Amino acid sequence: MDLLEFARGPALEWAAYILVAGTIWRIVGIVLLKEKPDYSEPRKPAGFGAALKVIWTRAFTAEPFAKATLYPKMMAYVMHIGLFGVIFLFTPHIVFFEGWTGLDWPGLPNSIIFFLGVATVVSAVALLVRRLTNPVLKLISNFDDYFSWFVSTLPVVTGLLIPVRIGLRYEDLLAVHILSVVLLLIWLPFGKLGHTFLVFVTRGTTGMVFERRGAKT
Amino acid sequence: MTTVDGRHELDREAERLAYKPPEVRHDKQGDMDSEDRINKAMHNFVKNFNTQTASYLDGCLHCGMCADACHFHVRTDDPRYTPIWKIELFKRTYKRQVSPFAFFYRLLGLKRHVTIEDLEEWQHLLYDSCTVCGRCSLVCPMGIDVAGLISMARHGMFKAGLIPHELHEVAKRAAETGSPLGITPDKFEDRVEWMADEHEVEIPMDVEQADVLAVMSSIEIQKYPESIAATAKILNAAGESWTFRTDGFEATNFGMLSGNPDWQKDATMKLIDAAVKIGAKMIVLPECGHAYMALRWQGANMYGKPLPFKVLHISEYMADALDKGKIKVRKVDKSVTYHDPCQVSRRGGATQAARDVIGHLGVDFREMEYGGDYNWCCGGGGGVVTIKRADSLRHRVFKLKMDQVEKTEADQLLSSCANCRQSFDDSQQHFSWDYTMGSLMEMVAENLEEDNS
Amino acid sequence: MKNKPTVGEILQAKGVSRRGFLKYCATTASLLALPPAMIPRIAKAIESARRPSVIWLSFQECTGCTESLTRSAAPTVEGLIFDAISLDYHHTLQAASGEQAEAARHAAMEENEGGYLVLVDGSIPMGNPGFSTIAGISNHDMLMETVAGAAAVVSIGTCAAFGGIPGADPNPTGAVSVQDLVKDKPIVNVPGCPPIPMVMTAVLTQFLTFGQLPEVDKFRRPLAFFGQTIHDRCYRRPFYEQGKFADSFDDEGAKAGWCLYKLGCKGPTTYNACATAKWNQGTSFPIESGHPCLGCSEPGFWDKGGFYEPLSTGKFGSGAKVAGAAAAGIAMGVIAAAAGRSRQAKFTKEG
Repeated sequence: MDLLEFARGPALEWAAYILVAGTIWRIVGIVLLKEKPDYSEPRKPAGFGAALKVIWTRAFTAEPFAKATLYPKMMAYVMHIGLFGVIFLFTPHIVFFEGWTGLDWPGLPNSIIFFLGVATVVSAVALLVRRLTNPVLKLISNFDDYFSWFVSTLPVVTGLLIPVRIGLRYEDLLAVHILSVVLLLIWLPFGKLGHTFLVFVTRGTTGMVFERRGAKT
Repeated sequence: MTTVDGRHELDREAERLAYKPPEVRHDKQGDMDSEDRINKAMHNFVKNFNTQTASYLDGCLHCGMCADACHFHVRTDDPRYTPIWKIELFKRTYKRQVSPFAFFYRLLGLKRHVTIEDLEEWQHLLYDSCTVCGRCSLVCPMGIDVAGLISMARHGMFKAGLIPHELHEVAKRAAETGSPLGITPDKFEDRVEWMADEHEVEIPMDVEQADVLAVMSSIEIQKYPESIAATAKILNAAGESWTFRTDGFEATNFGMLSGNPDWQKDATMKLIDAAVKIGAKMIVLPECGHAYMALRWQGANMYGKPLPFKVLHISEYMADALDKGKIKVRKVDKSVTYHDPCQVSRRGGATQAARDVIGHLGVDFREMEYGGDYNWCCGGGGGVVTIKRADSLRHRVFKLKMDQVEKTEADQLLSSCANCRQSFDDSQQHFSWDYTMGSLMEMVAENLEEDNS
Repeated sequence: MKNKPTVGEILQAKGVSRRGFLKYCATTASLLALPPAMIPRIAKAIESARRPSVIWLSFQECTGCTESLTRSAAPTVEGLIFDAISLDYHHTLQAASGEQAEAARHAAMEENEGGYLVLVDGSIPMGNPGFSTIAGISNHDMLMETVAGAAAVVSIGTCAAFGGIPGADPNPTGAVSVQDLVKDKPIVNVPGCPPIPMVMTAVLTQFLTFGQLPEVDKFRRPLAFFGQTIHDRCYRRPFYEQGKFADSFDDEGAKAGWCLYKLGCKGPTTYNACATAKWNQGTSFPIESGHPCLGCSEPGFWDKGGFYEPLSTGKFGSGAKVAGAAAAGIAMGVIAAAAGRSRQAKFTKEG
């Protein structure tokens, strides 16, 4: 079995199992802890609607804080949108998802994908530099922060190398790219990349608690 | 030739206003050894790790945006004042003890166990430099209620006997005498009589049955006793069946501020018991921010079931009474700006009430830039105003308030919290500032229109 | 050694014009990426070559490689190669049969010891020698016997090079490739199912001209022909870049000649000259005819996912296995939460 077959076969397969098991483990481990009942009289009812509202609105920073947080926020947006674009709008990836879910959707031309990929890497590097130099971030950052950065940026870099080729063979670069995705999928449920699923829980919870009080969310 | 300007501008950046970091002083209560303190801290951190808290502690991205919202960080650029950093020991304990991967954190030593040095250093971060104002909770992209976590973390610090000395003394006095300033029921009764006399107003005391139980904060009783008279005037004008009770009059809750849930419950139960005793349908809370948080939002949970009465902050009561026409006010010809108390507006959801009242007063209302729900904290909440060693820090952050208020060029500054008032008064003196904070309730009481019926 | 005529003499005798001959040499030089200055050298080498002996062994094969080589409506340059070499043994093309054929093989081996080329097509069964025999001799024995005195071995077609279709899962005959068995002779693999005719003859021509085998990649395939992927030379590549793909064999995209990636084309991971040299004297190649590349010059291409399965499709475990992973996650989560709660209870009690 060569590297590419390994990457596409057992490696990706086990990554999927670990991703599923780890994500469910973490969610169940949190959700089954004691719940704190709230007997106070609500100012207004706040069920899932409130949760959904804040899940949406917290993606945007309130005006009073916007200027102070503009730069990292913009970089983070570029990174996330770029990531979304290269993962979900590149036809070979869409074909991958189709094989898995049966759903198909149109993709973007490769040149645009390449541009998005480069933008993603540039913004990721900018954010890393910020994390290494900003006093607040230097103090609060730990291994999880740096490793999660590495594990999310590597697939984009290795993906960009495939068309760039740098003298290596396509199938080797493809294998390395897939293995970098495998690494990402394995790490995802355990570190701060878990925010991909936790964000709904944290924002939703705050939405319900504070909307109930009629307080600002 | 030099020109001399006889009127000197207040130079805010001058040396005398430079920030002096608080003296390093690790206050300790009791004589437990370090081992015990660490265990107590850990146990009492762990007590708080329910689903909600767990998801918050698990969800932090270390993005640092909370620092940009915190007045302590913004005015000092000290990275240790990053709100989520103040939570670090609490978070670390969660990850090691209760998180889904706790076993592996301990087995592989992925996070250090909390040490006594950690706890000592964090006393300053959890008490001196946090007013639980909640701006951090509003900016967090993950929606983490960082301010709420601070309150919980204080439970561990208290039981470990590692809280600032003055705050402990004040809380202890509240637990022992029923009032942080040692105002006994007799003293309270005296001051009420004095106010009734001085202001010629009927003030019912210890009535057997009443619809409304009114309560006061010790700060008002001691420092701003006119509030007692103002409260009475308003409730009387509204034709309310109300009373003060000597067995339940203290609205402040230093158990909540210092981090002792038992003392918190005691103080709350006093009010609940008194209200139940007299069959009250409503408790009207005074101009006090954390009294609102303690009773309106946390009271029922201390009680273990829904409260059998409504809880209104006086500003909410006044707004409702004015809307319904139960009381009327004369128009006041002034320009006014309003400082929102964090626990009533942002954290408590009663932001609009004060504005309704102000609307009825017919003043030229000038909203501060970033007022309302995003208001900058006065810097004195959460117990900070009691901590002497934090004065320098508190004064430094007060500049934000001075700028914010001055920009409105309003004649009068109002608020509806006696602790904010205390903080403003202290800083006004320190800076020789020309704004004095007034009370919204007192302005209403002063301008009540007598009904001709 | 008998005094054999040179290739030049033979060609002359056959009436092949000098012009036609030089045209062949020029084409070959171009295919081998050699400068025009080499053309006279190739011409001289072939002319004066004394027709090296070539023994062609056919094992578990379909004869497609021979068909590819000999497919022509009119005499072609490929056909010329048969005049340049002395093909002393070839099942399909030889006139002799039976013991005479075997005798010819042995004679060629003896007479040209150390100097003959062995060309092999078809894989060798190791499961049971009886699966494939010639004149009662197993493929393995014939191979080892014949290569013993050879100058070099060329594996023609994917079966000889990598095991090919007999070697595909489940490989009932235990088929192996030539390079799996022959360890002490220079080997060149010319894979393809079948290989491009021009590629086969160019490799032979290179040997004739320079007396050595061409430069090869890690799979021993001549770099001149197997150094680039179909994808990198495909004329439909611009459509790939533009994101224009055929979704089915008869949709508008297919009719417009768009990229066949979504229909399973293995072009990106396949090294061959199909996109440039093409087939039938440059007429066309599979992609041009509307069919995705099968990747037939790659080792194990039969087992690398279906021909119509796109390259980036994942190979996931079954739904049952994923459900198992989910169950494991739930179990771990329940245990973790229980442990957390019990710690909480313990600490609450201890105060």
